[in-house]
This record gives sequence, C-alpha cells and structure tokens, in this order.
Amino acid sequence: MNRVHLPRSLEGAWEILDRVPEARVYAGGTDLFVKLQGEARSRAVLVCLERIRELRGIRDAGKHVWIGACTPYTEILSDPSVQEHFPVLSDAIRKLGSPLIRNMGTMGGNICTASPAGDTLPPLYILEATLEIRSHSNTRRIPVQDFILGPGQARLEPGEILSGIEIQKGHPYPVHFYEKVGQRQALAIAVVSLAVMMRLSEAGDIEAIRMAFGSVAPTVVRPLPIETQLAGAPLDEKTLREAGAMLQAHLFPIDDIRASARYRRRVSANILQRLRLRGKASMKDSHRFGP
Amino acid sequence: MMASDSPLEIGSAFPRQDAVAKVLGREKFAADYYDQNPLWAGVKRAGIPHGRLKAIHTEAALTVPGVVCVLTHRDIRGSNRQGVVRKDQPVLVDSKVRHCGDPVALVVAETKEALERALRRIALDIKVLPAVSDILEALDAKSPRIHEDHENGNLLLHGTLEKGRVEQAFQECAHRVEAWFHLPWQEHAYLETEAGWAVLQKDGEVTLVASTQTPFRDRAEVADALGLDLHKVRIVAPFCGGAFGGKDGITVQSLLALAAIHCPGRAVKMWWDREESFIAGAKRHRAMIYYRAGATASGVLHALEAKLYYDTGAYDHLGGVVMALGLEHAGGPYRIPHSRIQAFSVYTNNPVSGAFRGFGVPQVNGALEQIMDMLAEAAGQAPVAFRRRHAVRRGDINAIGVTVQGSTGIQACLDTLVESASWKAMKAFKAREIPFKRRGVGIACVMHGMGYGPVVPDVAHAKIELQTSGQFCVFCGVVDMGQGNAATCLQIAGHILNQDMPRMALVLPDTQKTLPCGSSSASRTTYTYGNALIAAACALKKRILQYAGELWMVPDEKEVLLVPGAVRHLPSGREMALADLAKGLNPSERVATARFRAPVSREMPVKDPALRLHGIPHVIFSYGVHAAGVEVDTLTGQVQVKKYMAVSDCGRILNPQLIRQQIEGAIAQGIGYALQEAVIVERGVMKTKDFSTYILPCALDVPEMETAYVELEEDSGPFGMKGAGEVGMDGPLPAIGNAVADAIGARIFHYPLTPERVLAAMDPNEKTGQKG
Repeated sequence: MNRVHLPRSLEGAWEILDRVPEARVYAGGTDLFVKLQGEARSRAVLVCLERIRELRGIRDAGKHVWIGACTPYTEILSDPSVQEHFPVLSDAIRKLGSPLIRNMGTMGGNICTASPAGDTLPPLYILEATLEIRSHSNTRRIPVQDFILGPGQARLEPGEILSGIEIQKGHPYPVHFYEKVGQRQALAIAVVSLAVMMRLSEAGDIEAIRMAFGSVAPTVVRPLPIETQLAGAPLDEKTLREAGAMLQAHLFPIDDIRASARYRRRVSANILQRLRLRGKASMKDSHRFGP
Repeated sequence: MMASDSPLEIGSAFPRQDAVAKVLGREKFAADYYDQNPLWAGVKRAGIPHGRLKAIHTEAALTVPGVVCVLTHRDIRGSNRQGVVRKDQPVLVDSKVRHCGDPVALVVAETKEALERALRRIALDIKVLPAVSDILEALDAKSPRIHEDHENGNLLLHGTLEKGRVEQAFQECAHRVEAWFHLPWQEHAYLETEAGWAVLQKDGEVTLVASTQTPFRDRAEVADALGLDLHKVRIVAPFCGGAFGGKDGITVQSLLALAAIHCPGRAVKMWWDREESFIAGAKRHRAMIYYRAGATASGVLHALEAKLYYDTGAYDHLGGVVMALGLEHAGGPYRIPHSRIQAFSVYTNNPVSGAFRGFGVPQVNGALEQIMDMLAEAAGQAPVAFRRRHAVRRGDINAIGVTVQGSTGIQACLDTLVESASWKAMKAFKAREIPFKRRGVGIACVMHGMGYGPVVPDVAHAKIELQTSGQFCVFCGVVDMGQGNAATCLQIAGHILNQDMPRMALVLPDTQKTLPCGSSSASRTTYTYGNALIAAACALKKRILQYAGELWMVPDEKEVLLVPGAVRHLPSGREMALADLAKGLNPSERVATARFRAPVSREMPVKDPALRLHGIPHVIFSYGVHAAGVEVDTLTGQVQVKKYMAVSDCGRILNPQLIRQQIEGAIAQGIGYALQEAVIVERGVMKTKDFSTYILPCALDVPEMETAYVELEEDSGPFGMKGAGEVGMDGPLPAIGNAVADAIGARIFHYPLTPERVLAAMDPNEKTGQKG
C-alpha cells in the first residue's frame, strides 16, 4: 500500500514536499501506476497534483498560450487556442492512448516521464515550448529540450514540480503534420513518431521547416541541419529521400520488443515522404480559400 | 427482435438473458467472491525453465505475520499428477522443474500483502539443466529429456495419415508449390484471469468455485491428484469471464483444494494477476508447418503433403489432442486423391500450450489456405474458382480418406460469397489507388469438426424441472464461458414448452446439482447438451400434458396445450396455472432427465488406436469462407484490415444475435493472430509479460464485419444446428495472409505480419527470414 497525498493548493503541495522530499509526484497516474506495479510493491509516498487549481487550465496570454501541467489531455484537445495555433499538438494528443487515458493523463506527466516515445514531445520540441518549473521558493523557465535529459530523466530538483507549459503563438509555419507509427491503431506506444511544421512557397517548395522524431534515440531528435538544408528545396521525392539519408546520422534507436533499430531507422526516413501529401493538401486548401 | 415476455422461439434474435446482469456488474464470476473474508493462496513458481528440485526453504516465509501455512509436494497425499490424456503435470513440483511457471510451493495467508511477502521469502534450490526451447532441437536424440519416464523422449505424440500414392502423384503434377510456415503462440487474454475459491466444509466436502470449462473432469482430476474421495469434491462453475479453451484443464483448482484441506472452515481464494496468467496459463501452440501441394496440367488438385510440428511446452495438457485435430484438418474441405500428413507434438521447456479456440486447426488452416492460393496461382486459376472446383460435397471422400457426411455447406458458402454485394465491393475496394498504400483481397475456406471423435464418449445429461412457482428450471451442466449457450438452453426449453424468458430459470454447472455434461469445448457445447435438453424438455412436456389431461378427464393430451405460465384445454378454453399444476406432482414427477451421445464415424481411416483416442475422425463439420480486404502502408509496413466478410455453415441458426457475436469475436481474435499478437519466449523465458507488449487488437484495428450464413439443416443437430464457436477462428489468418500477398506481391511465412516483416517483404533487397 502507498500513502497518497491529494493537496488542493500549491501551499498544500509545498508542505508535503518539504516534509517528504523523496515523494513521487504525479497527476493522472497513467504512467506512474503502471511503473509502480513493476517495482515489487513500492511503498513510495505519492503526491497527486491533479486537484491543484493553479496547475490546471489553459490561458491565452496574447503572445503565448499557457497550459497547466495537470490539465487533462481531453481538455487540451477541446481548447480553441490550441486547435487554432498548434494543430500538430492536437494531432499528437488525438493519437495518444485511448479516450480513457486522455481523460486521466496530462501533458505535464508526459513531459516528466521523459520517455523518448512521449507522444506530445515531438510537437513541443518543434513548437519550442518553454516549461515553467516551480518550487516553494522559486519559479524558473526552461526550454523543453533542455529539460529532458534521457529516458526517465528530467532536470527537476527535489521539491520542484512542473507547473505549466508555455507555447508561443504566431509561428510562421502554417502546415502541420504528425504521424505516429505504433503497434495498433490506439493504445499504442510509438515505435517511431514524427512532428513537422512547415511553410511552403506558392510553387509548393519548402520555405522553412521544423521537424522532430520520437522513439529513435534516448530523447526526441530535432535534426536542425536537415531543417536548414531543406529550406528552399522542392517538396518532392528526391528531396525527402536525401533528407531521410542525412537523418540517419542523427538517430540512435534501440532494438526492443516492439521493433528493431533497423526498422525505426527505415521508417523514420520513409514517413518523411508523407509530407508530400500534406503539402498537396495544403496547396489545395490555399487555392480553395485563397483570393 | 423478440420482446422479453413473448414465448421463446427458435430462430428469433434476442439478447442473451445474462447480458443485463453482466453489464450492470451483478453477475458473480469466480473471481468475485469475497463474502467470507477469505484467506489468500498463491504459489511460488520455479522461475527457471528446466532443472532438478533439490530443496525448498520455507522457514523464512513461515515467520511472516499472517502466514497460515506453506505447503509443498510433501503435503500431497494423492498422485500429485494432473492431465487430461497423459497425467504428466504435478500440482506442486516434486522432482523436476519443466518450465518457468511450474508451481513449487503453495502459501496461504490472511492478506494479499502477507502472501506476497511470504512468497518472496521462499528460496528454491534447483539444479539448473539445459533448457530445450526449439522444436526441432527438442526432437534431437541428444537433447535433454524433459520427461524421463516418457518412452518417446521429447516426442509427446506422433501421427501419420496417408491416402493414395503421394510420391508418384507429385511426379504426375505439372504445378507444385511448397513452403514452411511459422505460427506464433497466442495468449487467450481473457478479461477474467484464472481464479477461484474453495472451502473445506464440516462434513469433509471440499467446495470449489472456479473459473473453468470442465467442472466434472476437474472433480476427477482434483480428487486423483490430492487423494480425495471423488464425492467429497464439489465443483461449482459460474459464468467465465472469458476462457476460449484456456480454462479447459486445471488452473487453480488443485492448488485451491490443497489449500482448503489445510485450512478447515476457512474460504481460500486464489486469483492470478495478468503477469502470472502470462507465465503459467496455457497458450495456443506455436507451430512450424511444412506444406507441399501439386496440381495436374489441367489444374486439378492432385497431391498434398504436410508436416506439422506443435510445441506443447512442458506438459501434454491437451497437446496430443490438439495435434490430432490439426492432423485431421490438414487437408481442408477439399477432394485430394493423394495425401500424406504427419504431425508431431513436442515437449519443450517453454510455457504450456493447450486448448485455444480452433484447437490446432488455425495453425494448419493458416498454412493450407495459403498453399491453396499459391497452387491456384501456379495453375493459373483464381483463388475462388480453384476452391469451388475442389470443395467437398456430401458423399465425397475427403483429403484424409473419410466420407463426407452430415450437412456440408462449403460450396454453398463459396456461392454465397461470390454472389454477395460485399464481394463486389471488395473488388472495387482493391481497384482504388491511394498514395503510399497497396490494397489486396484474400479468401480462405474453413472447416471445423465437432465433438470428441470416435472413442471418448461425447455425452451430455440434461435435467429440467417444473418448479412449484410454475417456472421451468434448466440444470445446465455445461459451462457458459461467455459464448451464450446458457441463454440458448433456455431458448430451446422455452421453445418446446412455449414459455417466455421470465418463466425460465437456470442452474449453472455444479457437480452436486447438475448432471455430467462433458466440457464446454470442441464446438460441441450447445450441440450435445441441446440434444439432451430437447429430449428432457419433451419428456417433461408430455408428462405435464398427460397429467393435465387426466386431471380434466379428457380423452387424450392432444387437447391440452402449454401456454406461458399455464396449460389450456383447447376444446373448452379452460386453463390451469403451472404453479397449481406443479403442486399436484411429486418432486420426482416434476423432473425429467435425458442423455445424448453425439454420433461417431464408423469409418477407420486410421488404425492407430492412439490417434483414434485423440479424436480422429470426426463426423460432423461446420464450414465457412472468409474474405478480407487489406490496406498495406508502403512507408511503414502497417497492415489494416478494411473489409471483412465471413459466410458460415453452422447449420440452422437458433439465435442470430449469438452466432453473430461468435463469428465476429472469432474474426477479431483472428485479426490479432494474423497481425499483432505474439507471445515472445526466449530460451523458455517469457518476454511479453503483460498487455503493454502483448498487442491485442483494439476497436480501431477491427473493421465492420459482415457475416452471412447458409442455413443448411444438420439432421443430427438440435433444431438443425452445428457448432459455431471455433470455425470462425480458422479463417482470418489465411484470408489476411492471402490479402497481404495479393497487395504486395510477396508472401510472408512468419506470423504475425508485423509492420517490420511486411516492410521487409516489400523491399526487393531484403530476403532475410522470408523463406523459412
């Protein structure tokens, strides 16, 4: 049996964390409870943050959107600002777990679990999200890619919690793409995932692009040299094939029970080709809605 | 749909009577009993695949507060052996450890926490032996022997069926194909893991409530293994929360009874968690299957050879019988003049394999139906046309030399498929081009034998009682593991007695209250029990009508009719409530019983008494044809089943809702078997420990399924029906395999068809592992 604390305010949480700094902190519990079961009846003290009002909700602050770390995915999905400004994030959340998991789980949990397969991480990397970290005495901000160090490792000191995620609005990347390759159509852990935001010229060439891959290295991979290389290139088979070849140097996948490293490498390169469809679709859209 | 207060009718669609209680969570499964503040029992498992037990150190466990007792093989007075055919499986290991899940010590404690603490404190001293995990390696004479007392080494059972002159026939063929297929273990993955509870009563009876498909056989096994009087063991079998064959055989039963006799008066509960179920529960047999088939220059199927290797794991369980059913079905529903089929069931130190919906047939049919496509292609024929040309009809001699008897709807199923709108839609589906996708369509024929075969009596005894309330109570001694046969029993009796559902009552299997009925398995549950129940219900009906006629002093009982809740004298319109009528009858007059034994084949295609004992040949078969439309992603290798149609011949349909559930459920399970599910074991050690790595299909992986039926009358069946529980499981893997081959122009011989295998098969530069 574990002792579970359910503070209703940040003050309450600080009080517990000051007293039991080694307590395990969670929100929806969709990762932690599975993990605890594997830990031969862990007796860890648990602190559940999901009832703390200050850690929940979504605020459009004009230049950025703030998402409370303990906001369940379902709430994020239904938020108009998120839908409008960060479709790549909505797409990723829609493919995360199942409706039940999305009702329980939170983006703060997904970030702190720091799994390379975390579904929201590739979108957050290319959206260049900033994390708001709070402790009893301090608040600091850190870019998501600096926060996550490796599988299960995040830059979180004892007594600190992730309180919110800030994402800047107004990125000049109108075309968003997300693909998750899992072992089934839902309730799957990503074998490879890809988040892309890009801007295309009127001719359909790539003007600018950001991309991030999940499940192909100890952390999410954002291959900046490829992003630079692709700027100005035509969005065609050859360009993307060459990008896929270049990409290989950035990937450090593992063999595990879900897939081989070899498969992860091939599929990472292959799914870049799907951007051509996304490109075509967005061109059609702009014709339909254009002047 | 029929209203609940209408008299029950055969052929009408209505929701099963157990649905509401299950949906509301009111139905009590074996895992749901907590009333008596039970003790908790659990076992220490070996954790290594092969070894010799030296010592069990229980002292530290006994010091854990709350521990009631720790039991080992020394506490067992009986044979300490379980098994259906070969009794080779210990309740608690006494000499050898043969797989990681072997139970070595049994702990009983006041709480689950104390139980877990004590289990961790048991130390096992086991001399490790080399583990045998490969099927062919196990057959090598130099391999360590897993059962030293078994005369054929690691070969549990072997059988050969031969017909014609196969070698010469192959030389006469203009078209020949061959391949090795590799089929994985499959986990039953029932919602309710293995569970039960037991108590030793004051009169010395052990009452055992278990999630089981086989209460009467369990009683005999438990009594023998523990040295108890058969009549001092009572097994009660509630609805199972899924079983699929995984509870056809002992799971918790003997362990619970052993715990109970050491804790008199206390209820003892055992409930495996998912991880334990993975390690210790039975699986569908992994199989390696070789096929060679040939056709003449004019495209006539002429010769077939097959070699079937089943990995039964550490114990027989039902491995020999599973092998025999595969052997018998290896030629499919086809006329083939020359055949030689060999089958081998092999002991290894892998997890135990046993019964699983389909019982050895999904493996062979998975391979055979792909070989048929390969041969049709080689002979330049379309898959459907090739099958229509060779499908058996009544009176034919089938591929293993047995006369096709009983209703035989395989041709009718094929006709129904090709004439359906869905089949035309599948062709249109395939023709549509989508970027980065390839589409294909595949079909597979299926057939599935019913019952136990020629030797083991396939018998059921039905009992029905008119209760003083006026209700009719059906005493159903055969388990409803979720397939809905209990509802069908009420429907059969209600139809005969002209009663509605509220006037019907049900007693679930209980070795003290119900009569022996055999197992809930082998597609025989409703067939065998239903036939017995018809006889019992008709006898009781006659008795009631005669009694009423005599009471009313009318010339004969034909003037009397049963109506819901009453009897009516037709000429006068006079009625008497059944509750009143019942009060005039003696208790023994209110009860009727009947026995039915399923018909057996009178042919002797095989002289080998062992094969006959293991079930060859069957005489009644259900048939079907499955068609799948798949879409393969060329970038990822992911396969999605987009279209599915199954046409089945299961005789006449008693309740259209229930057969649809059976066929759709089997298709979903078959989609998992084809594409996603694989128990992964390395050198005897389980690698897929739970549902995070063992990938079951979810709702989004299963398409809309269309089911259609050719309702041929099976003369021997209750109201013309045949078994429907398994036949749907035999089709999805080969239909999907053929569809994927159609889509990508390459065939994959290792299952499941993971994206990785499919992607590799689409790559012309990559040929590794595809040829087997």
